[in-house]
Amino acid sequence: MAETHLIKRRKVENGESNEAIPDDGFDPDMIAAVIGEHLPGDTLRRLKDVSGGNLERAINMYFDGSWNASSSFPQQSNAFGPLQPMSSPRKRPAASSSSHATERRGEPSSVTATAAESGVDLKSMPGRRYLGAFGVGGWATRSGTSLLQHGQEVRIERQKMTSKPQGSKKATIVRRKTQDIVVRFTDPKGQEVGRLPQETAEYISALLDQKIIALEGTCVYAPEQIRTNDTIFLQLRCYMLREAFERRLAPLDSETTDFFGPKETEDERAMRMRQVGLVKLFSEIGLEPIKSNGLDQKSKRAAILDSAEEPKATQPDPEAEEGKELEQDQLDALYRKAQSFDFNSPEAEPADTFALNLRPYQKQALHWLLNKERNVANREDVSMHPLWEEYPWPTQDLDGNHIPPVEGAAQFYVNPYSGELSLDFPRQEQNCLGGILADEMGLGKTIEMLSLIHTNKSPSDYKPKKTIPGILEKVSTTLVVAPMSLLSQWELETEAASKEGTLKPFVYYGNDKKSNLQLLLSSKGAPDVIITSYGTVLSEYNQVLKGGTGDGGLFSICFYRIILDEAHYIKNRLSKTAKACYELLSEHRWVLTGTPIVNRLEDLFSLVKFLRVDPWQSFTFWKSFITTPFENKEFLRALDVVQTVLEPLVLRRTKDMKLPNGDPLVPLPGKTTIIEKVQLSNKEREVYDFIQDRAKKTFKHNLEAGTLMKSYTSILAQILRLRQSCCHPTLIRKKEAVADELEAEAAYDVANGLADDMDLNELLDRFSVESSGNETNANTYGAHVLKQIKEEVEGECTFCCAEPMENQSVTSCFHAACRDCWFSFISHERELEKLPLCPSCRSPINERDIFEVVRGDDNNNDEEVLLRRVNSSHTSAKLHALIAKLKDMRKTEPDTKATVFSQFTSFLDLIGPALARERIPFVRFDGSMSQQARKAVIDQFKKHHGGMVMLLSLKAGGVGLNLTEAKRVFMMDPWWSFAVEAQAIDRVHRMGQMHDVTVHRFVVEDSVEERMINKIQARKKFIASSLGMMGDEEKKQVWLSFSDFFFESWWWWWCADADYIGTHR
Amino acid sequence: MASGLPKRIIKETERLVAEPVPGIHAVPHEDNLRYFDVSIHGPAQSPYEGGIFRLELFLPEDYPMTPPKIRFLTKIYHPNIDRLGRICLDVLKGNWSPALQIRTILLSIQALLGAPNPDDPLANDVAQRWKEDEKAAIATAREWTRTHAMT
Repeated sequence: MAETHLIKRRKVENGESNEAIPDDGFDPDMIAAVIGEHLPGDTLRRLKDVSGGNLERAINMYFDGSWNASSSFPQQSNAFGPLQPMSSPRKRPAASSSSHATERRGEPSSVTATAAESGVDLKSMPGRRYLGAFGVGGWATRSGTSLLQHGQEVRIERQKMTSKPQGSKKATIVRRKTQDIVVRFTDPKGQEVGRLPQETAEYISALLDQKIIALEGTCVYAPEQIRTNDTIFLQLRCYMLREAFERRLAPLDSETTDFFGPKETEDERAMRMRQVGLVKLFSEIGLEPIKSNGLDQKSKRAAILDSAEEPKATQPDPEAEEGKELEQDQLDALYRKAQSFDFNSPEAEPADTFALNLRPYQKQALHWLLNKERNVANREDVSMHPLWEEYPWPTQDLDGNHIPPVEGAAQFYVNPYSGELSLDFPRQEQNCLGGILADEMGLGKTIEMLSLIHTNKSPSDYKPKKTIPGILEKVSTTLVVAPMSLLSQWELETEAASKEGTLKPFVYYGNDKKSNLQLLLSSKGAPDVIITSYGTVLSEYNQVLKGGTGDGGLFSICFYRIILDEAHYIKNRLSKTAKACYELLSEHRWVLTGTPIVNRLEDLFSLVKFLRVDPWQSFTFWKSFITTPFENKEFLRALDVVQTVLEPLVLRRTKDMKLPNGDPLVPLPGKTTIIEKVQLSNKEREVYDFIQDRAKKTFKHNLEAGTLMKSYTSILAQILRLRQSCCHPTLIRKKEAVADELEAEAAYDVANGLADDMDLNELLDRFSVESSGNETNANTYGAHVLKQIKEEVEGECTFCCAEPMENQSVTSCFHAACRDCWFSFISHERELEKLPLCPSCRSPINERDIFEVVRGDDNNNDEEVLLRRVNSSHTSAKLHALIAKLKDMRKTEPDTKATVFSQFTSFLDLIGPALARERIPFVRFDGSMSQQARKAVIDQFKKHHGGMVMLLSLKAGGVGLNLTEAKRVFMMDPWWSFAVEAQAIDRVHRMGQMHDVTVHRFVVEDSVEERMINKIQARKKFIASSLGMMGDEEKKQVWLSFSDFFFESWWWWWCADADYIGTHR
Repeated sequence: MASGLPKRIIKETERLVAEPVPGIHAVPHEDNLRYFDVSIHGPAQSPYEGGIFRLELFLPEDYPMTPPKIRFLTKIYHPNIDRLGRICLDVLKGNWSPALQIRTILLSIQALLGAPNPDDPLANDVAQRWKEDEKAAIATAREWTRTHAMT
């Protein structure tokens, strides 16, 4: 290389024109020396062009004459690798960016913009083209006189440091640290005069190394007497090399997001250096794009450079969420902007096969949905990919001389976010043919999507077709991904929304998963809708990652449409579930969520990433325009950008929106909430007080010892027990101990002929048998009382003289009184440390052996009289209150269905048998149930004729389910934040509900529950927002500053925050 | 019981008025319905025959869990009643049962007048005399009745 330069330089000195033949090794003298004659300039240029600047090939071509044959010549021997068009061999319809699924399989990826069928022929580009010039002040590394003069050419050279022999660890480290960026300039003789300044060399070195540009320098000014470190001013002329456009780039898609992750590969680093270099260079030479995505160029460049900073040394936790939380008012502002829905927008009618009636606003949604999906068909104009910028090739050089244009190539394209370069117009590939349906919960997102499935079916020429990498394309099926608990609901609603046989759903989950989807979907009766869970997507993704083929699975299909329900499941872009979902293939991509942003702007990024919306799916881009400004407190700017992202993508209406005529969007029947106060029984209260005392002691102890922060888990656990004991004391006890006790009780009952439920008729029979044999007074009396009870001859209460008795109850000796009188008597006697004796016969009595007389079930069998144990260990004050309410309900409105929510499944375990004893039909729904079981339960509840109760765990049943068949809701225990309860209540009080809904919230008086409702739920928001922003140390300080407060106050502050920590872990 | 009189006390009072027991009167004070003025006629064929004995009866807070408090106001010579009028009767102590009522308690007291029980004495001197010289004791009882219970 150095030698050829010398030859050329000599020519320059000889005064011969070098005809603007670039100085890149293509030396005419060398050719002349080989072929024996000097060639004319245009022949030389032609030779250079056809040979791609390769001297050796040019000579060969000259000899074999092929240089002059035609414009198409074999290029296979090109030293820079094959120059095939890089259009994807198996282009996917909807994959607007390169598709990850194939990369995983180790196939080459494509860069969409590099070349296309109609692209500019790279061969027509000269080996290098003038780009622009800029001035720089280099510094001298040598002293001397008249080393350089004004106007004298200098050569810009990169000379790599000789890398030390590998092998020793130390050497590698050293090399890494002193990243070689030195760029020298030499005098015409090749002797180093100085170096470019550090800040220029930093990016120029990378561009030179990667053969993007070439530089020619001219000395503008140098002192006569040069000393080391003197400044020498140079003019640098910059040429873009053809190779820059040839070079195939590493894929730049999902991996961009890991750009600043812990392991940036050498390739990635090179890419980044190149990106930064280009941006800096263009800004230095003042090159402005003639076409770009319209953002202010200066701030754009600043933003790009900002976000391309060196990766931080800290290794981010891949599952940790990033980005700042949004303040509530910021979120509100954002939503307000996104919610400016035009109620006059056009409506669309669903297809005939759709079986339900849509409300006007739902028809508007359908119109919007259809427009989004059909967008591509209507669009004729070709627009530029929004990440790219178009630049003109300069037409004049530095001195104002005209540069001959290259035909058909007056401009080039740059992607400043990736550093990609192209001569071809980077067409905006099909943009996102889907979007975000963010209607608030209860407005019928599911119905709206189903109407879309019915109305926009795949084109009639759709035939499933397998492509080379094993992907089944042109499938007409829609894939629905939803949380597990909603699978059956999707199935049911799909069926309900479709006229018989017009839409076939298929739940792809668990055992049903065995089927091969490729076979299933290419078969005749292929399902129209496949419903699967996030878990299934994740597990199949993991299989594919582990090297499984994934054949026949979700990732081997390119669906017609994908719908992610409850899409906040993927809000963390670093989570595996999110990554898995990104990889699913489809033409139309939709996400459904009531909360597109949960609390960070990054939540939205993940949705956009899934939707593959350009340019926002590039995290560099996102970070440049949204995250970074936001973190720099330029909230308005960031939110404005978010707004522009959201606007074309999101449709969101809220329940409290009003139609232009003032009517509510969704007229819902009324809702009444009643707080049902429950008083603990004495025994329950004892247990409660005991636990509370212990918890307070722990708290106080830790407070004094200064270990409060460390002990919150144990305190939290004690508060949990406290809350459990409000429901039922058994909940807090060890299962084994409870079992032992139950066993002992059962043995006692057998010995005494007692049971929790005794049928009066059977008892009477027994008594008459016993009496006939051995006639004792007690037995005669017992029989007498029982007979009286049976015949409803009610005496007055021994204690309070009430007549009739309130909740007539008998002892094991069958003497009757009011139920509560029995208990107050027994506890009175116990307080005096006396053995409670029956006032009538003086036989010992106890709390457990009090039996309430229960006459005939409401609807059947009036004859029957039961003696039911009041204080069976299976009941509690709260449970009793619930049963009483339900019994009332069954009397007054026997056909009403009700839901009962508790956060403790162990409490549901106790409620179930209690309902069974009362013969109240019920079903149960909780997180432990399989998908099939859940479906069966929901089915049963919906289809049951007459009244029924559904027991639900707050967690599993709180989201998504549609239980409008019920019109009563019983909340057994409060949650820290009412929002969670409200969501559960909305299972019943939602669209489709035809009746007024009554909500009963059970709250134990004078307990943690009461405080939760009165204080914590109210204050929760404040605490979360103020304490949430502090570090642990700050938090502690705040707490300590409150130490004047009396203990109670502390205690509840703690409760509130313990939960805050608990839920945010 | 600031909230008012328990139903049971009201009911008992009403019944005492509506269906009085022969030989027994019980009337509550107007200003304290738990406090009764009681008079019991001495049973026939007893040393107390012809006498009308005045007693006071008070229903404590936790009545009927605890028995009423009853005391003779009229002086009486009886082995189970002391000089202060206090009565030794099992149902007024440990054998109380909420199933008992004012009416039944007063009947028991009337019965006690008819059947003194010197083996379970409260007034020791009276009981001793009763045991040693029953006739003389009965005479004293008659004497006391005439002096104190017939005015």
